[in-house]
Amino acid sequence: MNRIYVLKRVLYAIFVFAVVITLDFFIPRLGVDDPAARYYPPQGNMTEIEYEIVKQATREQYGFDVPVFQQYLNYLEGLTRFDLGTSFRSGSPRVSDLISERLPWTLALSVTNLVISLFFGILIGAFAAWKRGRWQDTLLLNASTFTTALPAFFIALILTFYLGFEFELFPAYTNPNMVAEFDWSWDAIKVVMNNAALPILSMAVGGIVAYGQSTRNSVIAVTNEDFILTAKAKGLTPRTVLYKHILRNAMLPIVTSLGMSISGLIGGAVIIEQIFNWNGMGTLFLEANSTNDYPLMMGIMLFMSAVAIAANLVTELVYGLLDPRVTVGDRR
Amino acid sequence: MKRKCALLVLAALLAFSAAGCQASEYERRTDASNTLYAGVVASSFPVSFMPWLSRDGIAPTIASMLYSTLFTYNEETGLFEGLIAKEWYYVDDAGEPLLREDGSVDYDRVEAIYGAADKTYLPVKVVLNEGLTWSDGMPVTAEDVYYTFDIATNNTLSNHAGALAWTSDLQHGYSSGTLVEQGIFTYGHGAADMGYAISEEERDTVLYLHVNKVLGAVTTLFSTILILPEHIWEPIVTPTNQLNSKDPTAATLAQYGHPVGCGPYVLDADRSNAQVIVLERRADYALTAEDGSALYKVDTIKFILYQELNVAIYALLKGHIDLLDSAISTNYLSLFEEREHMFVSNAPGLFLQTLVMNVNPVAGEKNPIRDLLGDVRVRRAIALAIDQDELISRILNGSGTTVAAGLMSTANPLIYNPDAILLPEGLEARIAEANALLDEVAPTRDEEGYRTLDGARVSFDILGSVGEQETIAFLQVQLQKIGIEVEFASKGSSPEKTYLYNSKFDMTIQGVTFTISNLDIMYLAHFVTLGTSSNYGRFGDPDLTALIREMRTTLDLEHKYELILAIQSMIADEYYKVPLYCSNVLSIARTDRYQGYVTVRGSTVFNTDTLQNLERRDAS
Amino acid sequence: MKAVVRTLGTAGSAILRFLAPIGRFLRSVWRHPKGRVGLLIVALLVVCAVFAPWIAPYDPYDVTERAAKGLAPSLEHLLGTTITTGQDIFSMLIYGTRVSLLIGITTGVAIAFIGAFFGILAGYSGGVADTVIMRVVDILLVIPTLPLIIVLTNLFGRSYLMIIAIFAAFGWTGLARVIRSLVLVLKNANYVKAAELAGASRARIMFRHILPGVSHLLIMSTALSCAGIMVAEAGLSFLGLGDPTAISWGKMLAEAQSGGALLFGHWWWIFAPGIGIFLAVFGFMRIGLALEEMLNPRMKQSNGLFKLFRHLDNARLEEVFSQMDAERGNRPWNGN
Repeated sequence: MNRIYVLKRVLYAIFVFAVVITLDFFIPRLGVDDPAARYYPPQGNMTEIEYEIVKQATREQYGFDVPVFQQYLNYLEGLTRFDLGTSFRSGSPRVSDLISERLPWTLALSVTNLVISLFFGILIGAFAAWKRGRWQDTLLLNASTFTTALPAFFIALILTFYLGFEFELFPAYTNPNMVAEFDWSWDAIKVVMNNAALPILSMAVGGIVAYGQSTRNSVIAVTNEDFILTAKAKGLTPRTVLYKHILRNAMLPIVTSLGMSISGLIGGAVIIEQIFNWNGMGTLFLEANSTNDYPLMMGIMLFMSAVAIAANLVTELVYGLLDPRVTVGDRR
Repeated sequence: MKRKCALLVLAALLAFSAAGCQASEYERRTDASNTLYAGVVASSFPVSFMPWLSRDGIAPTIASMLYSTLFTYNEETGLFEGLIAKEWYYVDDAGEPLLREDGSVDYDRVEAIYGAADKTYLPVKVVLNEGLTWSDGMPVTAEDVYYTFDIATNNTLSNHAGALAWTSDLQHGYSSGTLVEQGIFTYGHGAADMGYAISEEERDTVLYLHVNKVLGAVTTLFSTILILPEHIWEPIVTPTNQLNSKDPTAATLAQYGHPVGCGPYVLDADRSNAQVIVLERRADYALTAEDGSALYKVDTIKFILYQELNVAIYALLKGHIDLLDSAISTNYLSLFEEREHMFVSNAPGLFLQTLVMNVNPVAGEKNPIRDLLGDVRVRRAIALAIDQDELISRILNGSGTTVAAGLMSTANPLIYNPDAILLPEGLEARIAEANALLDEVAPTRDEEGYRTLDGARVSFDILGSVGEQETIAFLQVQLQKIGIEVEFASKGSSPEKTYLYNSKFDMTIQGVTFTISNLDIMYLAHFVTLGTSSNYGRFGDPDLTALIREMRTTLDLEHKYELILAIQSMIADEYYKVPLYCSNVLSIARTDRYQGYVTVRGSTVFNTDTLQNLERRDAS
Repeated sequence: MKAVVRTLGTAGSAILRFLAPIGRFLRSVWRHPKGRVGLLIVALLVVCAVFAPWIAPYDPYDVTERAAKGLAPSLEHLLGTTITTGQDIFSMLIYGTRVSLLIGITTGVAIAFIGAFFGILAGYSGGVADTVIMRVVDILLVIPTLPLIIVLTNLFGRSYLMIIAIFAAFGWTGLARVIRSLVLVLKNANYVKAAELAGASRARIMFRHILPGVSHLLIMSTALSCAGIMVAEAGLSFLGLGDPTAISWGKMLAEAQSGGALLFGHWWWIFAPGIGIFLAVFGFMRIGLALEEMLNPRMKQSNGLFKLFRHLDNARLEEVFSQMDAERGNRPWNGN
């Protein structure tokens, strides 16, 4: 692949990241003159002096007692060591520890959702495109108009109600012991699957249909292109035509939307996680928000932005690989 | 072909997921031991227990079961009941107890001796129970009490501002780590030098304290401070590794994780984590019931974390927990009414909801409409128009009690002033009187029926949280009858800093609780102190202030109670904080494994009385 | 007198020029079967929103009209009452259209203006303006909006104005990209070149010549973004970030969930706002899809834009369609 294209993209990603770091740092501080006071509201029994002592201790502990610009530099310095700061929670855990604890659980949901949606979506989409105009195709089209208008959290509530409460197939809320008792044994994995079934299902319903629709459209579009006619004229079997030529080219728009959805892997399931009490990044962020835990909020936002930037970068590079036409402008 | 593969994969996934059903069979259903499963609604459990933690939801509950205080305070009798300590009394110059013949404190003599100006402190003698031990077997001695109080006053070692507040009335203090004043005396710490005779046999159980000359000085010392084991903490705590350290050493962390206390339970750290906390009963706990059996009936307590109330209620309905240690809304009552094996604890509450008015805004926040709130007639009119019964029946579904204008709960018979109601019965009469009062101040009304002052409508914003919207909606309707408009204004996430401390509000809803043990602090905080206190409306009345100060400093207990009654009348007359209702505390427990739950005022079904009364049923 | 007539004339023609494409679009949408359904639904919702006090049997804001809590659907209460407050659910549904439509349409229009402005500017001016705008677009795209909104509502209080502002500030990026690529094509049209040669100012060209060219695309995108915004707003209200005093469908769902509808088995309380959200989004999406099918040849086998722009360079048009496809891939089903 074109080296200049890659270099441009990487440099550009770094630039965007720098801007995002600055924004992420300053936005929570807008209008908050004293984060320590915000986090530690005065207790009724404390006198003024005692309250000042407590606030000063909090400030020193979290590094708020230096001027803002110095805090910014300290923050940057911490980032080089992957240290995103210390949370306000009791026990003062590090933000990076909290994130790495919860991240796998969010990924368990979103990656599984993505894989299921892609797998079944592409299959259904290709199938519908093959049977274009027949009832299978119209079924997919109708289903997609339906599910795109239904938000995922509504589907989640419906599924919880029927599958969770009425028929008791899956637990309506996550088992609070699931995280603690997880030890990679078969039983533990089955428990996780049992609890993850409803959240994943709520997201996958929309995902499968959407990817299916998208695949169907691009397959139809590609099928009408000339080179497919050539391939058929050459005498290749329909199956070969389908796999070798049609699908490969139809995947391009899927790759773009895949790249977009990678950044949604982490932050996209906030509402679903909250509904099911699933201990992932989404609920972590909501907890941080309800306790005014600024270091944690900033850390999570930065992390999500970093992932989005990385995902964009990877998508662009992969796209450049698949479709060299886009790198045209960068040839020297 | 591909399609069949896909279907097979799908079927396999679903089968797997459903198979997890059996794997998640909750343990309570099959647990035959004497283990109580208590559900708690919180965002997370602490994993380490610094003994004086006060912020996190369940930490105070756990701490009070692992550690003990010297006494517990009985609100209804006003007396201290022994826990670590057995008895206490004020002593005279010779060290003799100042008691009456019936054993109660002789306040007349206390006042006679110590009322004089040259006496700067009150000496108190405390006698501990014998035979109490820490969970590692070491005995509880007076030196532990010395160590606890001592470190509480020494911020260099404790790094705990709250402890400073607890011991503010103890005349024992440090300055930058050096002892400047000693107010605790034990056999090993200068009792003899001070003239207090402690014999060799008494060395472990007797100590003397010098406290400020106020009756409330001992309350926090006796009933709030959890006593720490000296032999554990003294070797560990240094100025660089404080008790409440922000960067604790390994030794400290080990102690946080495996706390050693003298309470009835110990923490089973191996089985505890961020979602479950397990407490085991101590077999060697010295305090027993009257018949000699163990005081606490439950062997093991398992606290299970739920992050949302509905989740916890669901778990309770399914039988995953025995009880829910959280107050639930009365809307859920009908869920439990038809079910078997449910115990509903509908306890009267201790928290009163009041409407606070901004009677004295800072200069920059005054405006003609808000100034109306400075007129006591307007406030009285508003108080008269509020229909507490309607609020209780519509918002609390009847699970609540009305509140007297003196803001004292009926739970405290010693200090409840039944005359401080001052609101006549009969809503009609009250509204008529309110309208008459307001007609003196703002007689003109606009076309919608609201009163106007110089052309501007008399309209107030009530600062409230989202849950208080219903209350405010009802207040809107009630106050409309006297021509006053009120509207909901959102509190935001830090109301004190943004609105309340700088008078940027008209009215707000505030929960208050006045009990014998906290009056000394609370009356001051609510009705006298300006600035960052609970006195949001900056109320100040010289007579009331004088009464409160006298109440705090008098050494005559009976006189103090009289003053409290008088204060309530004055509070009632001022209508600065108008009572709305007092909500009951509703909580639920299952009776299929345990029976004998006790309803305690102001508490959920998980309380000390329950733990001392529960019996395991044979059917499980 | 003459001056008055003249100003009226210019004002009138400006308004007509503005309304003409909208009229055109309404007619073409009506002719399309899918679009007709969408228009009817949206019309129904608008009627509900405007005439809510007359359509709804009770006033959910009025505390005196509260009934017993947790009633099942009956003749008096078509969808029963809420468990938490005793409000009539059907009335809440009707009043909820106000919030959804208001936010959806306002934000959609704001996005249309901002996106069109920056898209045309970037596409037509090229050079520095183009690079700067596109870089800003890239940066805005990577910042996760939901956490940002949560943080800002925490700082500045909850209000719908804040939500509209943030959605508008972050939502114009996709539209700008698509418009920009179309403008790149239009730039080379004959009539544009003619205007440039005649010495028309850049602003005038952009406004009078390019803007009408992108109007179809603009309106289609607006309809679709309205739909997306409504879903996002429902999500935010569900998390509790909307105005606490207003009745919105997302808030109804949140109240249903936290009030124990699942525990009690009151499925109607959950279905009602969900159906509301569905109808609103569905209606707007039908309109947008109808337009998209008319414009984008890849959707149906029509010639669409090719017919409109047959005098232009077909190769560049490909890029426009790829952008549109990517935009379609960005629809709200991505998690949320």
